[in-house]
Amino acid sequence: MKSMKKVVGPEYNLGEKIKTNVYAVGVAMQESVYPHTATVFYPRERKKMPDNFRGFILFDPDKCISCFNCSFVCPANAIRMKEAPNKRYYPTVDYGRCIFCHFCIDSCSGGALKATKIHDVAYKDMDEMFTPTEEMIELPEIIREDKKYVEYEIEEDDLHLKRTKGEDYLFVDVPPPIQIPMVSQCIDRASCIGCRVCEEMCESGAISSSAENGMLRMKIDTDKCTGCGLCVKECSMQILKLERK
Amino acid sequence: MATAVGAGQSEWEVAVPEKPLKDKTYFENLKAKVIDTNLCSRCLTCAAICPGGITVVGNKVDFPDYETKCLDCGACVRVCPRFVYEPKSGLGDYIEFIAGRSKRFAGQDGAMVTELLVSAIEMGMIDRGLFAGRDEKWATEMFHVREPEQLAITTLGGTKYTFADVLPALKEAVMFTKRGVGIVGTPCIVSGVRKLQQEYPIFRDRVKLVVGLFCTENFHYDDITKFLQEKGVDFSKLVKTDIIKGKFISTMTDGKVKFKVAEAEDIIASGCNVCTDFTAVESDASVGSVGSEKGFSTVAVREENAKKVIEYIKEKGYADFGEADTSQLDFLIGHKKKREENIKGDR
Ligand SMILES: Cc1cc2nc3c(=O)[nH]c(=O)nc-3n(C[C@H](O)[C@H](O)[C@H](O)COP(=O)(O)OP(=O)(O)OC[C@H]3O[C@@H](n4cnc5c(N)ncnc54)[C@H](O)[C@@H]3O)c2cc1C
Ligand code: SF4
Ligand code: SF4
Ligand code: SF4
Repeated sequence: MKSMKKVVGPEYNLGEKIKTNVYAVGVAMQESVYPHTATVFYPRERKKMPDNFRGFILFDPDKCISCFNCSFVCPANAIRMKEAPNKRYYPTVDYGRCIFCHFCIDSCSGGALKATKIHDVAYKDMDEMFTPTEEMIELPEIIREDKKYVEYEIEEDDLHLKRTKGEDYLFVDVPPPIQIPMVSQCIDRASCIGCRVCEEMCESGAISSSAENGMLRMKIDTDKCTGCGLCVKECSMQILKLERK
Repeated sequence: MATAVGAGQSEWEVAVPEKPLKDKTYFENLKAKVIDTNLCSRCLTCAAICPGGITVVGNKVDFPDYETKCLDCGACVRVCPRFVYEPKSGLGDYIEFIAGRSKRFAGQDGAMVTELLVSAIEMGMIDRGLFAGRDEKWATEMFHVREPEQLAITTLGGTKYTFADVLPALKEAVMFTKRGVGIVGTPCIVSGVRKLQQEYPIFRDRVKLVVGLFCTENFHYDDITKFLQEKGVDFSKLVKTDIIKGKFISTMTDGKVKFKVAEAEDIIASGCNVCTDFTAVESDASVGSVGSEKGFSTVAVREENAKKVIEYIKEKGYADFGEADTSQLDFLIGHKKKREENIKGDR
C-alpha cells in the first residue's frame, strides 16, 4: 500500500489572495443580479427534448391493423384494445400505468403509434389518466406558457443553460422504422383445415382461396403480404409463420 | 417438429369433404347425419377442430349461431368418427394382455393409466399428459400434467362416469407441446384422436401416446348427478364411483350406495347405445378393470410405443404385474357388439 500524503492547500501570496477574493465578490454580485441557475423555469420555459424522447403517445388509426401487438408487448398493462364504431380494435393508454418505455411504438408493425416530446403528461385525477383512442389522434391540449426553450451546453468544464426565445416543436418526425421484410408462409400444408380465417383477417388482400373440383386452393401473394402477422396469430391450426422475404 | 426458416410455402391445397346435403353448411350436415340421429358420442372431436364454435348445449353437441359463425370449412365432418361410422368391436389387435398395479399411484383399479402417462413423461416420450380430473361436484375438468408431482391432486386418477372434454384440451396441448402429448379417454375419444391424426399431420406428429379405457357406457353430467342424488348419494362425501359386475357403487366417506346399472338404463347417453367398442381397439394401450384381480388394472398393450413404456415401468420396478384373463371380457364385448342393431335402427 502506498503511504498517505498530507493534503496541502495552495500557498497564495498577498497579491493572489486579493485577486481571488475580488473574483469571488464579483461572482456573488453577478449571481444576485443575473443568476446562473442550472434549473429550468418550467412552465415559462421548457427544456428542449431530444428527438428520441419518450413522451405522450400519438395514434394514427389509418395505419393501425388491429394486430394487438402494442397491448401484448406493454409491460405495464397500460394498453387496452377497445372496439371503435367501425368495429376495429384500437389501443387506449392508461397513463396511470404507462411507464413510457415506448415498447408499443417499437412493436407497432404499421407505424401507427408515434412518440412526442410531451413530457408533462399530468392529470387532475386518476380517471382522466385513461386516454381513449380519440384523444390519442391529435396532440393533447396543453396550455403553453413557455416563451423560451432551454438547452444545456457544456463550455469548458462548466454547464451552461442556453435560452432561446420561441416554442419547442413537440412533434417528432422520425422516419418510419426500418423493418425486416417478412412474409407469411404455411409450414404444414396438410394440417390446414381450410377455414380461411387467414384470408378473412388479412387486410392487404394477400391471402386468397378458390375452390375447384373438390379442392380448396390457398394462396399467399408474397408481394401483397406486408408481414404484419395477423394471419399467423389467428390461424386456428397455428401453421402459418412469418419468414424473411 | 420445429420447421426450419424458409421451409414455408405460399400455395397449398386442402381436400374439401363431400357434402351429402349440398346446399347446407357442413355443420348442418353434421347435425343432420350425426347429432339429430343420436349417433353422436359426444367425443367432441368436432369441437376440437372447429374454428367457429361447436360446443355442448345441455346434453347435445351444438353450434349456437352457426348461421353466421360456421365458416363452412368441413373440418368437423372430416374428423367426426361417426359421420361415416365404421363400428369397431372385439379385443382388437394386441401384443399382450397383462394385469398391473402401480406401486406409486392410487387410481380406480391398479392406477395403470396414471402409471403409463407419468412414466411416458419421465421417459421423455411426451412432455404432457392430459388427465380428466373433477371438481368437488364431480364435474370433469381437464388437466395438463407435466410433472409427476402434480399427481398430488388425488382427483386426477379414478373413473368419472360422465363426459370429459378431452379433445378440445388435446387441441390446445398440441399447440403448446415441444415433445409430444399423451392422452387417456373412452373408446369414442380414442377414435376421435385417430381421426384427427389420420386427417392432420399436426396431430399425427405430436400425439405420442393414446391410452384407451374399457367402456360400456357413459352418462351426461346433469342426468347422472340427478339420478345419484335421488338414490341418496351426497356429493360432498362422495370419494369413488365404480361399476362392478353390473352394480353401480358410490363410495362415500360414511358408507356406500349400490344399485343395478340396469336401473340407469334410461339415462345412458344416446351415443353409447350405438357404440360397439368395449376395449378401445384403436388405442396404443387400453386399460380396464375386468380381466384381472381386484386392485389390478387389465392392460391391453397394442402398439410398440406402449410396449416401451411398459418395459420402462418393469425396469424401474414401478408396478407389480400379473396375468390377465381375456375370457372375462367376452361378456361385455358381446354385450356391446349387440348394439350394432341399434345403429341400423337409428339410420
Ligand atoms: C365412463 C367409463 C366407463 C367405464 N366402464 C368400464 C367397464 O365397463 N369395465 C371396465 O373394466 N372398465 C371400465 N372403465 C375403466 C375403469 O373404470 C378404469 O378407468 C380403468 O380400469 C383404469 O383404471 P386405473 O386405475 O388403471 O386408472 P387411473 O390411474 O385411476 O386413471 C384413470 C384415468 O381415466 C381418466 N378418466 C376418468 N374418467 C374419465 C372420463 N369420463 N373420460 C375420460 N377420461 C377419464 C382420468 O384422466 C384418469 O387419469 C370405464 C371407464 C370410464 C371412464
Ligand atoms: S387460418 Fe390456418 S387453417 Fe385456416 S385456412 Fe388459413 S392457414 Fe388454413
Ligand atoms: S366452422 Fe368448419 S368445423 Fe366448424 S361447424 Fe363450420 S364447417 Fe364445421
Ligand atoms: S360423434 Fe364426436 S365428432 Fe361427431 S358430432 Fe358427435 S361429438 Fe362431434
